[in-house]
Amino acid sequence: MRRLDFLQSDRFVGLLFIAPFVVTAIVFMVYPIAEAVRMAFFSYNPLRPDLVSYVGLNNFEFIFSDPLFWSSFSQGTIWTLLSILFQTIFGVGIALLLHRKLFGMAIFRGLLLFPYIVPTVVIALIWRWIFNPEIGVINYSLQSVGLISEPIYWLSTPTMAMASTIMLNVWKYTPFVVICVLARLQAVPLELYDAAKVDGAGAFRRFLDVTLPQLREVLIVVIVFRTIWTFNKFEEIYLLTKGGPGTSTFNLAVYSFEQSMASLRLGVGAATGVVMMIMLMIGSVVYLRVAGFGNEEKST
Amino acid sequence: MITDKFWPAMKMAALYLLLCIVTFAVCFPLIWALSTSLKPKSEIFATPPTLIPHSTTFENYEALLSGRQQYYQSGGAGQATGPTPAQFFTRWFVNSVIVTLGSTLISIVVSTLAAYSLTRFRYWGRSAIPYFSLLGYMVPSIIFVFPLFLMMVRLELTDNLLSLVFGYVCITLPFCMWLMWAFMRSIPIEIEEAALIDGASRYQVFANVVLPTALPGIIAASIFSMIVSWNDYLFGRVFINSLDNLTLTVGVMLFFEGTHVDWGLLMAASVLMTVPMAILFMALQRHLVAGFGAGAVKG
Repeated sequence: MRRLDFLQSDRFVGLLFIAPFVVTAIVFMVYPIAEAVRMAFFSYNPLRPDLVSYVGLNNFEFIFSDPLFWSSFSQGTIWTLLSILFQTIFGVGIALLLHRKLFGMAIFRGLLLFPYIVPTVVIALIWRWIFNPEIGVINYSLQSVGLISEPIYWLSTPTMAMASTIMLNVWKYTPFVVICVLARLQAVPLELYDAAKVDGAGAFRRFLDVTLPQLREVLIVVIVFRTIWTFNKFEEIYLLTKGGPGTSTFNLAVYSFEQSMASLRLGVGAATGVVMMIMLMIGSVVYLRVAGFGNEEKST
Repeated sequence: MITDKFWPAMKMAALYLLLCIVTFAVCFPLIWALSTSLKPKSEIFATPPTLIPHSTTFENYEALLSGRQQYYQSGGAGQATGPTPAQFFTRWFVNSVIVTLGSTLISIVVSTLAAYSLTRFRYWGRSAIPYFSLLGYMVPSIIFVFPLFLMMVRLELTDNLLSLVFGYVCITLPFCMWLMWAFMRSIPIEIEEAALIDGASRYQVFANVVLPTALPGIIAASIFSMIVSWNDYLFGRVFINSLDNLTLTVGVMLFFEGTHVDWGLLMAASVLMTVPMAILFMALQRHLVAGFGAGAVKG
């Protein structure tokens, strides 16, 4: 009977319900991250597990003196900045278009948000097909309209490969910006527009003076979030170009993957991961400041 | 009088036109993939390319679904001797379904229980856990994947679908936790108290009162979780090394190995891979805004 009483007691139920999460989080989240940090200080070849040895900061010295690390870093930065720029512009534009109560809008909204859930593998395959230099429909269309005379080698020249991965990334993740902006637009008080109309503001002025300031907050949050995620993306680049041609579309995630998978230097890959995590933490601090999570917690 | 009705109508027409152009531009890659997958081999490379196939064929879909060997045939000179990706398509599809459902089930059960506990009981650390979880969901999977792989080696789970289930729990649990926590927090506690006073046990209250109320949150979290697991490539690539145990994403990328790429087959595979997500997406539409409100968008 005493045991049953114990089971009925609220505190026990509470701990019982949180226990699976704590166990899973420790095993599958805390441990791998701790292990990744530990690996960064070891020489680690998965084919020779007997030769694991502590190497101190050697892995970090290796990456910081590796020109490929630095070019991956700068290419990743360019990739991120351009992706975010276009995602924000298209995202706000499409959200403004969709933010009207018109017949059939649900269908347009559905179709415009759809790319977000298409598997990256599928997008990469479609991209390789439509951007194929000889038989792809994009080059054919551009040539038949007369915009270009020679086929563009979308995936085999460094600049164009970068442009193609940016296009892929923008295509897939603009819906994220649209969803966020759309949700915010629905909360903009209509009186503000009426007031601006009375003051004689045109549509463009109303956008600048009313809509944009209202969107400021959500845009900052979205941009910080997307920057962190985009900077660390792996599949969006690797599946389309494998980081190539050469290493011209490497970012840090691809660099880390190639170090671990192709060169079998798991320690170096892990060290790159640690550097990425440190940058992520800096980004997160910015985010927490911006979103003011600390304040919210105090008030509840 | 005329201008009163004329200009708004013109504006409306212009708006619809703009919407149609933008939508077409955005959907074009998908439309083109669908169109290619339905064309016979002769039409795929036709100039000028046709958006709507003159003659439609389902041979690519048939080949994938029946595992028929037609991959290298169009080259003309005899068939390849080794196994071809088309033969494994249905198997990979089933594998993907298994790991997606398995990991989603675990993530949802664990996070729903945890969210209930976090919002209904008081103990040390209960306000830190959701934020810790949020941080976990920002960490890119490239950092998790190799430590987890070494863990699977030690557990002798490599090349086993179970390793992928665990891997996907690791990437879906944090945001399921965050979403369920935000959702549970918004459910008023009074109904439960009433049921408790009526003599129901905690477990009865949880099963009969809380779970039905939390269902929209559970659905939204499940759908997000399924999309993330289904779409993953990295874990499948690192954890699995036999053709039999691959998931769709990694398997279909193998269609590129070899000298000849069968674009029709590849596009059919792409379409079939997207269909389950499209169905989920339609179900998700209603929950999208609710899910977003709870901060549950992963990208």
